[in-house]
Amino acid sequence: MNYTSRANNYPLYIRSVPTQNELKFHYTVHTSLDVVEEKISAVGKSLGDQRELYLGLLYPTEDYKVYGYVTNSKVKFVIVVDSSNTSLRDNEIRSMFRKLHNSFTDVMCNPFHNPGDQIQSKAFDGIVSGMMVQTG
Amino acid sequence: MAQCVQSVQEFVQDSFVPMVAVLCSEEAERVTRKNNLNFAELLRPFCRLTSEGHMRDPNNQVQVVKNLRIFVNNVVTSPNRPPTALSHAQSKILNEVVLSCQPQEGVVNNVVTAGDYDLNFSATTPWFETYRENFLQSMPASDHEFLNHYLACLLVVSSTEAVPVEQFLKLSQEQHRIQHSGEYTNPKWFIPNTLKYYVLLHDMSEGDEQRADAVYEDMKQRYGSQGCYLLKMNTRSFSAEGDEQIPDPWSQYLQRNILHTQVRTANNISAAEVDNGVSGSLESHPLQLDITSSSGSLHTLGAVKTELKKGARDPESLAGGAGSHGACLTLNDHDHIRQFIQEFTFRGLLPHIEKNIRQLNDQVKTLILKMYPPEAPELQIRKMADLCFLVQHYELAYSCYHTAKKDFLSDQAMLYAAGALEMAAVSAFLQAGAPRPYPAHYMDTAIQTYRDVCKNMVLAERCVLLNAEILKSQGKYSDAATLLIKMTSEDSDLRSALLLEQAAHCFINMRNPMVRKFAFHMILAGHRFSKAGQRRHALRCYCQAMQVYKERSWSLAEDHINFTIGRQSFTLRQPEKAVIAFRQILTNDSRQTATQQSAFLREYLYVYKSAIEGNEVSLPQLPLPCIHCSATRVYFGHERRLAEGEKQAATHVSLDQEYDQDSADMWCHLEEQLVAAANRGIVPVNFQPTQCCLNSQTDNQRHPLAVVEEPIIVEVTFRNPLKVSLALSNLSLLWRFTADDAPPSKEKMTNELAITNEEILALGMTQKDDIVTTEVIQEFQMGPEETKMARLRLLPHRTGQLNVVGVVYNLAASSSGEMAANTEGNQTFDVMVVHGKQDLMIQGPRLNQTKEDKMTVRHGHDQRLNFIVTSPMPLMEIFFLQFPTALLCGEIRKAYVEFCNVSSVALCGLRVVSTHPDFFSFGSQATTPLTPVSPTSAENNSAYKTLATPPQSGSAAFEMLVSAEDFSQPSGVIDIPIDGSTLQPGESTQLPLWLRGPDQEGVHEINFLFYYESTGKGNKISHRVLRHTVFICASRSLSVQASACRSCVPPHHSLGDKGGGGTLIFIDVENINMVRYTAFSLCLPASPPDCKLTSRERAKLCFRATRCKPQKATSDAIKKYTFTDLNLGNERIISSSTPCGDFFFRGCQTSESQRLDAPSSRTSCSSKSQSCVSTEDRSSDITNIVRKCNELDLNIIVIWKAYVVEDNKQLILEGQLHVALQTIGKEASSLTPREEAQEMVLLKFKSQLPPPVILPSAELSQLVKTSLHYPETYTHPFVQDSLCVVPVTLTLSNCSLAQVDVIIDLRHKGTSPETLEVHSSFTWVGQTQYKLQLKPQEVLCLTLQACFLQAGVYNLNTPRVFAKPAEQGAMCETSQQTASPSLIFINNA
Repeated sequence: MNYTSRANNYPLYIRSVPTQNELKFHYTVHTSLDVVEEKISAVGKSLGDQRELYLGLLYPTEDYKVYGYVTNSKVKFVIVVDSSNTSLRDNEIRSMFRKLHNSFTDVMCNPFHNPGDQIQSKAFDGIVSGMMVQTG
Repeated sequence: MAQCVQSVQEFVQDSFVPMVAVLCSEEAERVTRKNNLNFAELLRPFCRLTSEGHMRDPNNQVQVVKNLRIFVNNVVTSPNRPPTALSHAQSKILNEVVLSCQPQEGVVNNVVTAGDYDLNFSATTPWFETYRENFLQSMPASDHEFLNHYLACLLVVSSTEAVPVEQFLKLSQEQHRIQHSGEYTNPKWFIPNTLKYYVLLHDMSEGDEQRADAVYEDMKQRYGSQGCYLLKMNTRSFSAEGDEQIPDPWSQYLQRNILHTQVRTANNISAAEVDNGVSGSLESHPLQLDITSSSGSLHTLGAVKTELKKGARDPESLAGGAGSHGACLTLNDHDHIRQFIQEFTFRGLLPHIEKNIRQLNDQVKTLILKMYPPEAPELQIRKMADLCFLVQHYELAYSCYHTAKKDFLSDQAMLYAAGALEMAAVSAFLQAGAPRPYPAHYMDTAIQTYRDVCKNMVLAERCVLLNAEILKSQGKYSDAATLLIKMTSEDSDLRSALLLEQAAHCFINMRNPMVRKFAFHMILAGHRFSKAGQRRHALRCYCQAMQVYKERSWSLAEDHINFTIGRQSFTLRQPEKAVIAFRQILTNDSRQTATQQSAFLREYLYVYKSAIEGNEVSLPQLPLPCIHCSATRVYFGHERRLAEGEKQAATHVSLDQEYDQDSADMWCHLEEQLVAAANRGIVPVNFQPTQCCLNSQTDNQRHPLAVVEEPIIVEVTFRNPLKVSLALSNLSLLWRFTADDAPPSKEKMTNELAITNEEILALGMTQKDDIVTTEVIQEFQMGPEETKMARLRLLPHRTGQLNVVGVVYNLAASSSGEMAANTEGNQTFDVMVVHGKQDLMIQGPRLNQTKEDKMTVRHGHDQRLNFIVTSPMPLMEIFFLQFPTALLCGEIRKAYVEFCNVSSVALCGLRVVSTHPDFFSFGSQATTPLTPVSPTSAENNSAYKTLATPPQSGSAAFEMLVSAEDFSQPSGVIDIPIDGSTLQPGESTQLPLWLRGPDQEGVHEINFLFYYESTGKGNKISHRVLRHTVFICASRSLSVQASACRSCVPPHHSLGDKGGGGTLIFIDVENINMVRYTAFSLCLPASPPDCKLTSRERAKLCFRATRCKPQKATSDAIKKYTFTDLNLGNERIISSSTPCGDFFFRGCQTSESQRLDAPSSRTSCSSKSQSCVSTEDRSSDITNIVRKCNELDLNIIVIWKAYVVEDNKQLILEGQLHVALQTIGKEASSLTPREEAQEMVLLKFKSQLPPPVILPSAELSQLVKTSLHYPETYTHPFVQDSLCVVPVTLTLSNCSLAQVDVIIDLRHKGTSPETLEVHSSFTWVGQTQYKLQLKPQEVLCLTLQACFLQAGVYNLNTPRVFAKPAEQGAMCETSQQTASPSLIFINNA
């Protein structure tokens, strides 16, 4: 299980549960941004403001499923899930993203947070950890 | 996919060309060998036909054959079955081909801007094209297709042969045997009756031309003119080389040719070496950092290095072996060869193909009619299709392929079907103005079939290469990328690498470039390259990927790439690049764990060590630890002795102090005062405050001045960004020195002397010691993520300019214990220590003055590290003895100060200034008593100078007149009275110093600034200063409150005796010391045994003061002060001498410095004195006059002793308090009143008219003082005389300094019943009204007469006195204060 969120293509927050292979996830997430951008540019033209934030499955790799979510301010959330994890349906992922987004908004509301900095928030950490534990 | 030199069409066409075999006689071989080429090679550069050929298709339509290329090759026989994968030898050759084809240095890369990424990489990948070409050429011929089967055979015989025709026969037979005997499966032949073309080779340099011509004629007879050719060559004799520069068209084919030949010949070559080379590389997961066994990896690096050397040599040797090609060929000969090829192709080959197509066409037609005869008719179709394809007849080829495909598919002959599908797709693509779209699905099926069904990776790869190129040409980059990525597999790293790289190029070339995918696949490609032993390519891939990841805070990925780049660069002998890459890992804010960081560090050190080996010109820069340049601090000055026994050194400045702007300003202000005092009150224009300690906040725009033989300490701030500790050793400063006398261009660079080797550096240091001694810190440990300061000393020995440029040190990983545990022990440790430097570049503060400054980012200069070493200056040290830390308020203490000149230059002009000038005194020269200079027995000595006197009555007072000049100095600057005013080198002197506790309780910070200058003139440094800061804790002692009021008692003495009138002074003394343990008792040295005040006790003293006589000397305009000592004890203290007087004047100065009008003041020692008013301007201003009359300029000094018990020891402390009485009736206190909070003023909206100037009657009523003088009792015989007349004297004294008009009215006024009663009993006789004018301070007596009628007690105080200042006509007279009742007793005798 691995959750990340980022904006402007700089990582804001990266967290992965099996920490031993973190580098791999970094590469995966970084590469997935291309797909995210592709999807935004494809959708953005047709629907405008009514864009669905959840991008769905970005692409499946052999071992992982990569899901994407983009806020209106182009902050990107990427969740990488083990392919073998069948308990997570589209709906669960969607609600996870929504939760993540809410928590992220809270972080941004913190007047002491400097937008663009890496997120260092215990509350955010807690939410992410909670989701990771819950989904295993 | 990257851009290619060839177009797609060219590429596909060139992939499939007619193959022509060559059989040479030995003699012919010899002839061609002269040119260092065999016959096939000789022809190769000329194999592309520039002219168009024509041929007819089976329908008799003329087809144009353009740009045809044929492939000529020597016949190599082999019995092997064609493999489904490339042999080792082939792989090796491909590997070498790729290895030898590297991007050229300095080739302009194109820049792709995608989003916010600017990527810089070469759009072309020649190594890929080379690989592809070689791969396609090395394709083994297979049974299911005919494209690379030989179509024709050239039989080459030399004209020097004895019987050439016989040779031709022999060769012809051999060809036949090879093709038809069945011994060899390779080479494969297209058609059973292969075209044989007879070539007679004539060497112009040796053979007989006529004979050759004759033989050729014979040949024409025999084989027909279209089947033979006479090729004349070797016109140039071998020896004549160098005469003429002939282009070498072989060079570009050279290597490929050789390699290609090797492919054909070297199927049996053992490829073990190559295998070693490949498997020795970094075998790991592409996304894993293999650093767990770092020693192992280092070992690998070493191994790889040697491997690489071998690899690098190989292509060279190949090139060297084929040094000069075609040495015997002239340009004419080149033309001959070209003609020959053209002749052969157009006259021999094309007609041959045309004929065969026709035959096959006929055959196929019949075959189709026959419907699947057993002898593989489909193959005939295929064969025909291939032939058509080779001669660019794509339309026909496509239909044939299409037919064949269907047949093969229905027969389930998958390999054949796949081949037909592939070629059908290719020919469909190549059809100009194609009527049908490119059937991409054909290709997909073909690839899948090749790979999955036939397991033939070679063919699959070919298919992928073709398909990808075609897709690329159609802009379908995404499909191409998918295709390429699918083709990667574990069996061939090289192929995978190349294909991944091409996939990466596909991503970047997409309409919306996918930068990150590009980068990721580049990394994957790089990894595969490195596994394939292609380090150079691997490095390039990683570097290109780096551009995407760089500085985007993907630090883990960045670290991984940097690490790989570092390693690859190192193995490629680019240690500089490796060092840079490793630096990046170490300088970045790392997210890596500590173990990984330590591994990185060790690897870096290793690489760095080997990188700087042999490079001794200059020390390289080290990345660790980080230096925080702007935090660098510089301290000038020697290390002072801090304390020596009881001596306490001046605090001065040290690096341990934090910089504080306020205190810096304060010191600067003090120094300004000193300099002004030294320069007759004017601060020089070029005055700059002395800065002993420079940091980021000080003004660093000027070159700081250092003094020869005085150390300079530079504090450098290091920060260890890593989670592992670092060990620095032999840390020292790097400097550059320019001597004053040396010409400026000839600079001595320490860089030249500082040498990488430790011993040489040490040697260099000894050499340099005559200029500057550099201190070396042997060991400097830095913990994980620690910030630590290092203080480095320099001691200049010569004058000049000294610049600190950097620091030199040895860097090592700190885990020395771990290393020592290794078997290598010390050796390993040595390896890990590297020597290097870091520059110290300090950027000045950002400028923000002018508009330009504000618009751009500009920085000022920071000269902190560029010192100017000047000639020797005096240096003083100051020590304090018996300096207290706590004092009572007003306490007087004597201490000693010692000045030492520790330099070799005499000093003079010693001065001091302080923030609290009233705190201390050196005593005044005029009144300095002969106190013992040394503090030997000072403990019980009183600070005061006392005289034993018998107790006296309070009336006795000693007066002394003292000029203020004796005590005070014009400004706060105090000259220090040392003997001879100079201090010789090494000399020291001691002076007494009196201290007085500050009047306010609390902790006081008292700053002294001592000033001195050199006796010599013309120094760059005009003066030097020494700072001292003390903290004094003052505790409360006494509170003295004094008030004065006019006495109404008539003066006892004659009028002229002591002035106009007496003033009563009340002094309230309260012990307000709160500290209990001191058992504080204050003692006024009063005459009654001892008037001791214990805590919170209060005593009241009353004195009378009279105005003293005006001095004659007042006209001298010298302000003199009258001191009056009033002694309450049995000791007399001369208050006008040191220290009492000093402190008094100090106190006045500081407290009243703003009071300009204080004409003079006067003190009394615990008693009274009066002001002698110097000449006054007569002021008509009534207010002034009135005020003056109430003014009392009186200062009271209360000297006290305190008996304090401390540590079972009674101490007697002495002190003095000052009270200044300004006006009569106002109370003054020794304690400065608390600053009362400004009362809130009600906002008034209506502007109130200022109250009319009404002088308070209380003030005016005191203009004139009256007193009545009369006998207290008067006995009168009323019996004899009923009228009793008593003379009464009314004394009027003008208190003011103005003329006063006085009206005296003696008439009773019946205003109250009492007065009525009284006046009925007595009356004034004589003149009852007087009008007088009183001169300033005049005392006038009026004799009145009172008449009494009977005995009794009367109040005489009935005269009413009205006074008004003269010349104030408008002013009404004011009734003067009536004194208390003056009673007279009239007795009846």
